Amino acid sequence: MNGLSVHFEGVSKTYPHFTLDNLSLELPTGTIMGLIGANGAGKSTTIRILMGLVHQDQGRVDVLGREMPREQAAAKLDIGYVSEDMRLYAPATLAWHMKLIRSIYPRWDQPYADTLLRRFDLKSHQKIKGLSHGQRVKAALLLALARRPRLLVLDEPTTGLDPVARQEVLAELMAVLADEDRTILFSSHNTLDVEQISDQITFIDRGRIIASDNKEMFLDRWRRLRLALLPDAVLPSLSGVVEVGGSGRLPVLVTDRFDPAMVSVCNDAGATVQAVDPMTLEEIFVANVHSRREKQSV
Amino acid sequence: MNYAMVKRLILKDWYLQRWAILASLAGIVATLGIIATGGKVAFLIGLILLIMVIISIGAQMAVATIVMERKEQTLPFVMSLPISYREYTASKIWGNLLIFLVPWLTMVLGSCGLLLWSPSSRGLLPYAVVMSTEILLSTCLILAVALITESQGWTVAAIMVGNLAVNGLGYLVAHIAGIAKGMWGSTIQWSGAASALLLGEFTTIALLLGLTSFVQSKKRNFL
Repeated sequence: MNGLSVHFEGVSKTYPHFTLDNLSLELPTGTIMGLIGANGAGKSTTIRILMGLVHQDQGRVDVLGREMPREQAAAKLDIGYVSEDMRLYAPATLAWHMKLIRSIYPRWDQPYADTLLRRFDLKSHQKIKGLSHGQRVKAALLLALARRPRLLVLDEPTTGLDPVARQEVLAELMAVLADEDRTILFSSHNTLDVEQISDQITFIDRGRIIASDNKEMFLDRWRRLRLALLPDAVLPSLSGVVEVGGSGRLPVLVTDRFDPAMVSVCNDAGATVQAVDPMTLEEIFVANVHSRREKQSV
Repeated sequence: MNYAMVKRLILKDWYLQRWAILASLAGIVATLGIIATGGKVAFLIGLILLIMVIISIGAQMAVATIVMERKEQTLPFVMSLPISYREYTASKIWGNLLIFLVPWLTMVLGSCGLLLWSPSSRGLLPYAVVMSTEILLSTCLILAVALITESQGWTVAAIMVGNLAVNGLGYLVAHIAGIAKGMWGSTIQWSGAASALLLGEFTTIALLLGLTSFVQSKKRNFL
């Protein structure tokens, strides 16, 4: 790791019906960050600001040492960008697109492009309008990867893909990760995809970053405790409990700061711990969002 | 300004619109051929077709290279390239102008050639030059509206306004004394009115394109 590839500091952007609020984010070089949020949470706005396509109202954005949006042209020379709403030119062939990109990016890697063509089962002479949605996403990914970018920015690239195409795309991304200097920002509302490839996770909701940490830390700290309360016993006070569910005698606690000592604290208070369940990233995300929204509404 | 990137983007649009450009050139040559046959009916039909073809290609270029780029979502692909919006705007203005100038110059040179070839219609030359420039101005208006609004609706409105302007100005210019005087004669009578009209048209074109670049430079959201 060597410095930061992406640095957001106090970035805000206001639209009539949406505000990206005081967003600060750091993406160290060589990491793969998954940006998770519901539809309309602000993922695409964040990424567009990162790419210089939308200008922030406040705050500072640096990408690969370039100030955005002022130095976007220079920064984009080292960025590969694929978004769900990106289309290639329908009447042109993939070969024409490859030729265009090759003429712009000095690090274009033709042998790698040929490898990706075979791996993705794409035909370069085929016109884009003849490709399926999955093939179009793969074609866009090929064009982004073969330019050998230092930073790969993927905005919901797997949305709308069938399971086979999605797995092929994710497998290729995982192969790319072998390069330690490559930094990836991957946004999705599909937590399974993000969980597979990311080592850093950032949750975004209603224009705010609500949590950002190492993936393993998320998975290690978050637990669901299923308790059985003895008659007259009260629920013990535990730190880090973000959600209390279940029924009166059989409460279910969700904590974001699980410690094995919690089990003995519960037992001492007359609450038998029946199970300590690990949580998936999706469950962690949903619990996190609910907890933050409840705090906001209080 | 990264001129190499601007050039690549212009060549991209040129390549993607190559069939439309070729079709417009063929249309212009064909209509000039109809006019060259010499009859009064052929002249009128040829003239109407010529104006139709040249206005259509100008409008088609603006719609296909600007409005459809947003509508068909190829704009994110273009904007992911190492360019700023200033370079994107420059490529669209110069690209559209250069593409349009090919059929437009073919039309202007062909029309002037035909008028000079037939002694009885030489007097029409100043009027033809003024009206050809008006068509160029009308195309620049469509281009400006398409770039600034990126909206199909507004661009269609600009096409209609441009068309009406060509027809309306065609009538008005033909009734300006300095133009009307020698219009049906066999000699070219270039008047001060013709020069003033041309100067006004080119000044409006420059202002229109300058204003477009200025408005574009103030935009903060491109997607």
